[in-house]
Amino acid sequence: MRLGGYQLKLEKKIRVTAWEATAISLLAILIGLALVGLIFLQAKVNPLTGYKAIFSYAFANKFGLPLTVNRSIFILLCTCAFILPMKAGLWNIGMAGQLYGGALAAFGVALALGAKGSQTPTLAPGLIITLMMLAAILGGAVIGAIPGFLKGRFNTNEIVVTMMLNSIGFWLIAYGIKEGGPFMGGGGEGEGFKLAESVFPPKVLGGAFTIPLALGVAVLLYLMFARTTLGYQIKAFGQSPSAAKYAGISSQNVPLLVFILGGMIAGLAGYHYFAAVPGVYKIPLNYGDFGDLSFYGIICGLISQGNPVTAVPFALLFGGLTNGGRFVQGQLQLGYGIDYALLGVLMITLVAFQFFYRNTLVWKKMEREP
Amino acid sequence: MWEFAARSLNASTVFAIAALGELIGQRAGVLNVGIEGVMLFGATLGFIVAKTTGSYLLGCLAAIAIGGLIAALHAYFSITLGGDQVVNGMGIWILGFGLTAYVGYPYTGPLNMERIPDLAGLSPFFFVGVVLVVLIWWMFSKTSLGLRIRSAGENPSVTEVSGINVTRTRYLSVIASGMLMGLAGAIYSLNYNPVWSVNFLLGWGFIALALVFFSMWNPFILFGGSILFGTLWQLSLNPQLVMESVLSRYIWRTVPFVITIAVLVLMSTRWFSSRWGAAKPEALGLPREEE
Repeated sequence: MRLGGYQLKLEKKIRVTAWEATAISLLAILIGLALVGLIFLQAKVNPLTGYKAIFSYAFANKFGLPLTVNRSIFILLCTCAFILPMKAGLWNIGMAGQLYGGALAAFGVALALGAKGSQTPTLAPGLIITLMMLAAILGGAVIGAIPGFLKGRFNTNEIVVTMMLNSIGFWLIAYGIKEGGPFMGGGGEGEGFKLAESVFPPKVLGGAFTIPLALGVAVLLYLMFARTTLGYQIKAFGQSPSAAKYAGISSQNVPLLVFILGGMIAGLAGYHYFAAVPGVYKIPLNYGDFGDLSFYGIICGLISQGNPVTAVPFALLFGGLTNGGRFVQGQLQLGYGIDYALLGVLMITLVAFQFFYRNTLVWKKMEREP
Repeated sequence: MWEFAARSLNASTVFAIAALGELIGQRAGVLNVGIEGVMLFGATLGFIVAKTTGSYLLGCLAAIAIGGLIAALHAYFSITLGGDQVVNGMGIWILGFGLTAYVGYPYTGPLNMERIPDLAGLSPFFFVGVVLVVLIWWMFSKTSLGLRIRSAGENPSVTEVSGINVTRTRYLSVIASGMLMGLAGAIYSLNYNPVWSVNFLLGWGFIALALVFFSMWNPFILFGGSILFGTLWQLSLNPQLVMESVLSRYIWRTVPFVITIAVLVLMSTRWFSSRWGAAKPEALGLPREEE
């Protein structure tokens, strides 16, 4: 494109500054939202009205805001679970399977210790709560270890393995909570059993205690990558596994480690939503929705360029958008799944904008033609 | 017993056609991990078009068209913009997953059309699949077109020098590959299991992706693998054929996924790759630098 004596040219970029990355991400989100606006238009809803309704329910409504925060924390944990392998150049799209594993393990502990619905557990509640949380982390780690081990040992494609594990986890939960499974609730409606009241976890400022915990995880992860040898080794492996090998970094252990750590955090995400969010305290009928929600972790991880602290505001935004989207689809007679449409459109705009992480548009003074 | 075998072959057809699509793209050097997304688009649009027009043919054509279109998007991101093909594929998958959930939801439920006539339980698509397997094998091993596509995937710079337009070859291959994936999706939603629900492919696209690695880019091995997976899948749906009520049917549902992982591991072992691994297109997944 030419304008006056200047020409618009494309140049390769060597480094992206934090500011540029943020600007690109925000632009991608705005364009994504504008594209979803077309869906609003098609449903005969003014996009501005639609977004106003979404944001006011998500961030300025006393019922909506806690839901937004809980969803955002869930997304943040899934993002951290995605980022860890991503830094090592590996794809964890198995947050769903890992969080299912965590949920099964946590509720398995509750079942074993008699902390189900009407029962009165014999152990101290504090102990049961701690054990449940540890079990969730362990459960996620076990599911996560599978792709990590297979990648490190046999170089098996981790994308396919994690995706298969998502389906396996989904059906294992179905087995647990449906048709007389061991985790079935009393109502027989295909829900998991509810926890006994005495083992409801403590709250911090009226919210789930996992909220500050998750923020702590994000900060720790950030520090790990910024300050520690381990973080450096993971990043080095991500840049070039073969070069990392010469630096003495094991090509077997890194994939295993990042997937175990990622799985642990995803397991915690399962614990957060099913066992710690006030009012849930069970594996709900629509547990699959949370598996789907975990995919926002992929977008969030990509858009924050693998920085878990930068991911916090993005997770909050996505949590709000999905929560508000769910709410307004009933209110404005939109079709079901506007939050799913948003997921898809945001992802693809983000992918398109990746181009600008590598290239930049510059105005150049044109050479005078001889 | 024959009924079970026919049903398994019908399931195999979906895997085979989708995987053949992926194979063409990969032969040209473009990896598309978004195959599940392309299939979801084909399956959903095909279902909607067939249901509203009452025509299977229009449904299939719509699925092929949308598959080609979505794959063209992947081609644009991967070839023209030169981005990371895995990231782009993920984008395609999540786009398909998200958008079809929204677009298809009003059509949730059975298709309610007279079933496509079959031949002793075998759907006509099975025969389409067989023909495609032979045709694609023939194209890659006997024709200059196949050679052009393969060389674009092996060494694009040399190919370009020898007078072949690599960009165009890759674009056409990726679009053709998407058309097959779209068709495979429609075969699933119009014939194999004509009931729409959110994300109803349950990872079939990812299994097809695994099949391509498994096949060592050979259409016949790919077809054999599809039959293996189709049968395993069908067995897991009918556990009574193996062991009556030994396990919950939900546990049986996990079996094909467990087996996929096991097979994938076997193929990734050094023993397997040293024996067959040379077939992998050299430039697979690498964007071509403009010189």
